Amino acid sequence: MSIPDYMQCAEDHQTVLVVVQPVGIVPEDQFFRIYKRIASVRQLSIRDSQRLLFIRYRHHYLPENNEWGDFQTHRKVVGLIAVTTCSSSRDWPHTADRFHAQKEVYSSTLYDSRLLVFGLQGEIAEQSRPDMVFYPSFEECSDVERRVEDFVESIFIVLESKRLDRATDKSGDKIPLLCVPFEKKDFVGLDTDSRHYKKRSQGRMRKHVGDLCLQAGMLQDALVHYHMAVELLRAVNDFLWLGGALEGLCSASVIFHYPGGTAGKAAGCKPSVCQPADAGKRHRPGGSQNVVDFCSGYAINDVSKRRSQTFSPFMSKDEICEEIKELTQERQQLSEEEKIQRYSILSELYELIGFHRKSAFFKRVAAMQCVAPTISEPGWRACYKLLLETLPGYSLSLDPKDFSKGTHRGWAAVQMRLLHELVYASRRMGNPALSVRHLSFLLQTMLDFLSDQEKKEVTQSLENYTSKCPGGMEIITLPDGLTLPPVPFTKLPIVRSVKLLNLPVSLQPHKLKGVLEGNLSNASPFIYSPILMQSRGEERCKKIDFQWVQGDVCEVQLMVYNPMPYELRVENMGLLTSGVEFESLPAALFLPAESGLYPVTLVGVPRTAGNITVNGYHTSVFGVSSDCLLEDLVGVKASGCLVEVIPSLPRLQLSTSLPRSTHSSQATSKEELPSSVSVQLFNGELQQLTITLENIGSIDIETLELTSKNNNKGKNNKSCSVCVCCCSFFSFILSKRPLSTESVHQSDSKTLEAVLKFKYSGGAGKVEGYYRELSLGVHVNVEPSLFFTRVSTLPATSTRQCHLLLDIFNPTEHELTVSAKNNQDLVLHASECQRMAIQVDRFDFESLPQAGQQTPHLSSPKQLEEERQLAHGCQISSKLGICWSIISFRHGEASVEGVLNQLVLEHLQLAPLQWDVLLNGKPCDCDVVAECIVGDAVTLEVKLTNLSKNTVGPLALMVVPFQDYQNGVQNYDMDEAVTFIGSNIFCISTVKARDSSVCEGALMFLYTGDFYLNIRFQDDSARRGLPLAWFTLPSVHIRALDISTIKFF
Amino acid sequence: MAVCIAVIAKENYPLYIRSVATQNELKFHYTVHTSLDVVEEKISSVGKALGDQRELYLGLLYPTEDYKVYGYVTNSKVKFVIVVDSSNTSLRDNEIRSMFRKLHNSFTDVMCNPFYNPGDPIQSKAFNGVVSGMMVQTG
Repeated sequence: MSIPDYMQCAEDHQTVLVVVQPVGIVPEDQFFRIYKRIASVRQLSIRDSQRLLFIRYRHHYLPENNEWGDFQTHRKVVGLIAVTTCSSSRDWPHTADRFHAQKEVYSSTLYDSRLLVFGLQGEIAEQSRPDMVFYPSFEECSDVERRVEDFVESIFIVLESKRLDRATDKSGDKIPLLCVPFEKKDFVGLDTDSRHYKKRSQGRMRKHVGDLCLQAGMLQDALVHYHMAVELLRAVNDFLWLGGALEGLCSASVIFHYPGGTAGKAAGCKPSVCQPADAGKRHRPGGSQNVVDFCSGYAINDVSKRRSQTFSPFMSKDEICEEIKELTQERQQLSEEEKIQRYSILSELYELIGFHRKSAFFKRVAAMQCVAPTISEPGWRACYKLLLETLPGYSLSLDPKDFSKGTHRGWAAVQMRLLHELVYASRRMGNPALSVRHLSFLLQTMLDFLSDQEKKEVTQSLENYTSKCPGGMEIITLPDGLTLPPVPFTKLPIVRSVKLLNLPVSLQPHKLKGVLEGNLSNASPFIYSPILMQSRGEERCKKIDFQWVQGDVCEVQLMVYNPMPYELRVENMGLLTSGVEFESLPAALFLPAESGLYPVTLVGVPRTAGNITVNGYHTSVFGVSSDCLLEDLVGVKASGCLVEVIPSLPRLQLSTSLPRSTHSSQATSKEELPSSVSVQLFNGELQQLTITLENIGSIDIETLELTSKNNNKGKNNKSCSVCVCCCSFFSFILSKRPLSTESVHQSDSKTLEAVLKFKYSGGAGKVEGYYRELSLGVHVNVEPSLFFTRVSTLPATSTRQCHLLLDIFNPTEHELTVSAKNNQDLVLHASECQRMAIQVDRFDFESLPQAGQQTPHLSSPKQLEEERQLAHGCQISSKLGICWSIISFRHGEASVEGVLNQLVLEHLQLAPLQWDVLLNGKPCDCDVVAECIVGDAVTLEVKLTNLSKNTVGPLALMVVPFQDYQNGVQNYDMDEAVTFIGSNIFCISTVKARDSSVCEGALMFLYTGDFYLNIRFQDDSARRGLPLAWFTLPSVHIRALDISTIKFF
Repeated sequence: MAVCIAVIAKENYPLYIRSVATQNELKFHYTVHTSLDVVEEKISSVGKALGDQRELYLGLLYPTEDYKVYGYVTNSKVKFVIVVDSSNTSLRDNEIRSMFRKLHNSFTDVMCNPFYNPGDPIQSKAFNGVVSGMMVQTG
C-alpha cells in the first residue's frame, strides 16, 4: 500500500529523490543537524552546461512508493546517504552490514549511495573507499556539503547516462514495458508482439524519457518527449500513463513559465496563462479517465491535488469542483489518520477556491474522524482545533455581540450542531471552562431555535458543568491565541424595561428655592429660548429629574420575563453602575415558566455623591455569572440611566399615638401622603394626637420646621373643633418640647383633613441646600353628636338675664347626656328630642372686640354682620358650655353657634338703656323682695344709664302700685293702701350717650302686705323708633311690714 | 420525488426546510448548506455577464453519491434548493424546472400575505401543502 504525499507540487517533477537515513544508533539531534547540512545542497549546476539538477531529500521514504518509480521517476529513490556512528573498529563490520542491508531496500532504483561514519578512527578510516566518508566526530565534518555535491554529481552522471541510453534507444524491437505496481499481474501472458503492445511500450518509454529529461534539467527535450508520449498513449487508450504523461507535460509547462516556482503565483503571470491552462485542459480528460481505474487512486490523489493547486487561478471553479470530486469519490480503505489527512486536504482545496461552506463541511468531517469510535485514542484536542476552524464557514463567530443585533445570521440548525460538538469536544479535552463558555454561547444565541426539550437538556448539562467550574465574565484565551469573549445571558431572563425609581416621598430631597433659582439663572441669560429648551430637553431624557441620596437605599425597577419553559432561578442579581461608589445589594428571584412581564426591583446604596449611571445588571443563572450592559440589550426601554446623587441627609421616622391608616383620601391624592392618621370623632369631641419623631439616620438633624395645611371640605356655619396637639420627642439634639397646638374649625361635613409637614435637614445635604419633608395627613371623620332643632328665648325675671330654650335632638345610636353650665343633666335616648332651658345672663356684645375691623377684606356689610354674629355665637357658646357625653366613653362640647337667629340674639343682648330701680338705696330686681315698714317713707330711685350712641329722652315714668292676688286678679286700686309723697310721675330729662340720669321719688305704705310697683312710661312719643326691649323696666316687689312684725323676726 | 426542499433567504439562512426522512434531517441541512457555495458561485459568474436577464434556474448544483442537488435563485436572491435521490433517474431537467416554478409561485403567494413578515420562517399551510405535494408525488 502506498501513502499519498499531499505536499508535492509541480516542481517536484524535476527533482531527484535522495533518502538520508540513520543506520544503527544515531542521536536524533545529531542526525538532523547533519540532515540539514546535507539538505542545504538543493540544486547543483552541472559543469560545462547551464543545466541545473534539483535534489529532494527525504529522511523517510516507503519502499512501496519507490515501486512507483517507473511511472514517475521523481518517485524513485536514486540516492541513499546513510549516517552512522561507530566508536570502535570492532563494530565496523556490523555497521557496514547494516548499511548494505539498507542499500538493499532501494537497490532496484539506486544510482549511488554514501555512508557517513562518525566517530571511527584508525586504520579502517585510513583506507579510502568511494562510498564511505569517515569523520572523527559530529563536530569535525566541515566538508559534508562538498561530499554531498560530489555524490549528487555522481548521481547526475548516472542519470544523464540513463537518459541518453533510453533516448537513443531506437532499436524498437524489444522495448521493455514499464508498469505501475498493480499492473504487473495484469500483463502476465499478454501478447508481447502485438502492435498495440509495442505502441504502449513505446509511449510509456517516451514518457519515462521525458521524466528523465525533466530531471536532468532539459526542459525542452522533456516537453518534446511528453508530447510524443501523449500521442502514442492516446492512441492505445492507456489512460493511466496518458494521465502521467499529461501531468509531466503540465509540470514541465509550469516550470517553464514560472521559473520562480508556483508557490508565489501573482497576477503578473496572466499573459502566459494560455499555455498552462491549455495544458491543464488537455490534462483533464486523462486525469478523469483515470478515475475509472480506481486502483490508481494513489496516483490520482496527489495528481488531483497538485492540479487543483497549480491551476486554481486558471480554471473555472466548476472544473476544479470536478477535480476535487475525484478525490472524494475514491473508496479505498484508508487508515483513520489518512482519512483525516484527506479530509483536511479537501477542505483546504475548497477553501482555496472560495467554497467556505464546503471547506467547513469537510473540516468538520475530519474533526469527527479524529474522534471516530474506531480510534483507540481519540484526539479530542485535534478535533476541537479543527472544529474551531470550521466556524467561519458556518458564519459563526464566538462573540455574542455579533448576534445581539438584527436577525440571526447563518444556518441555525447547523450552527447548533457545531456548537454542541464544540461543547462535547472541549469537555472531553478536559477543559470545563471552555465547554461552559460554548454552552452558554449556545444557549444565548440559539435560544430562539431550541425546542423546549432541547432547552431543558442544554440547561441541565450547563448546570452539571458549572457545578464543577462556574462560568464567569473573563475572556478565555486558547493556547493558539484564539480568544473567547464572555457570554452574558441577556436573554435569561429577557429585560424589557429599566426604570430608575425615585425615593419614597418621605425621603425625597428638596432643593431650597433660592439656591435653585441661582442655578437656573446661571444656565442661561434668557428667560425663554426654544433652542435652549430643546437642548435641555435632550439632556433631560438622559438625566432623570430626581435625585438619589447618598447612603439611602435606591431602587431600579426592571421588567423581565422568562422565555424558558420552566422556572428560572436567577441569583445574585444586582446593578452595574459607574460614576459613584455604589454598593449593590443583590437579589435572587424565581421566574415562573414563560412568565409575562415581571417586575424586579434591584436595590443598592450609593456611597458617595455625584452623578451615577446605571450601565446594566449582573446575574447568575445556571451557575454562569454574566454582566449585561444595557447598551447591548435589544428592545429595552430605558427612560434614562443617569441620576444625581446628593450628599447624605438625615432620616426621620414618625410615629403617632393613633393607628395609621393606609387610606388616602381623594382630596389629597395629588400630594400622596405617605401616611395618615384617621380618626372617627363625634361632632365636638376632642382627641389628642401625639406625634413622635425619631431620627433613625446617622446624621444629626440641624433644622426642623413644622407647617400645617388644612383641607376643609364644605363651608357650613355650624362648626365644631378638632384639636391637634403635637408633641415631639427627639432622640438626639432637640429636647422634648411641644410644637404647636392647632385648632381646626370644622363644619358638620363628613370629613376633615389636615396635613402636617415637617421639613428637616442636616449634615452635608444641608450645606448643599437640600432638605427633606415628612408629612402626616390627619383625616378626621366626623359624625353628628347632637342637633339643636329649635332655639328660642324666654325673658327671665331679671332684666339682665333670660332663658334660652334649646330643642336638642340626639341623632346618635347611643344614649346621650347633655349638660350645660349650672344646669342639671339632660338624658337623651337615641333619636330623642327634648327641650332644655338654660338661664343665661344677657350679653353685652358691645364690649366684644369688633371682628369686622380686624378683617378688613370682609368689606360688605352683610359679611360684616355675619362675622359679628359668628363672634356672638362663639361667645354665647363659651358662656353656655354645653357638653354632651355618650355614656362612659365619649364626651365633647356642643355649640349653638349658627342656630341662633337674629331675634334670639336680640333677646340675649343686653339692652343699651339700662334701668336700675333702687328702693331705699337698695337695688331691687327680679325676685328680690324689698322690705319696708308701714308708715315709713320709702325712697324710689330710677336710674337710666344710656349705653347707646344716641341721646334718649326726655321720658316720663309713671309708677303704678298694685297687688297680685296670685289668682289672676290684680288690684290696681291702691289709693288707700299706698300714698305717694310727691308725684307718682317721674321725669327724666334728656340723657346723653354714655351718661346716666337719676330721678327720685318717695312713697309710703299704709298697710302691711305685698305690693308690686309697675313702672310705666307716660307716653310713647319719646321712645318712638327705639326697640321695645330697651324700655323694659324691672317690676318691683315690696313687702310692707309692721314694725312689730320686724321686731318679732 | 424530492427528498428535501429548502428555501433560503437572501442572507443565507433557512426560511423553510423540509425533508422526507425526519430522523436524518441534519444531513440534509448540511447538504443544502454546502450547496450554497455553488449557488453563490453560479450567481456571481452569471450575474456579471447577463445582468438582470439571468436564468433563475441554476441546474444541477452538484451530485453526491446518493443525491442530486438542484438550485434556483429568484430575482430577490432568495434561493430554492431541491434535493432528489440519485437513483431516481426518471426525473428530467424539465420536471425539476417545473417543480421550481411551482415552488416559486407558491413562495410568491406567501410573500403576498400581508401578515407574513419577510425574513421570518415560512409557516404557511398552503406552501407546506405544495411542498408536500412535490415530495410525495412520484415520477
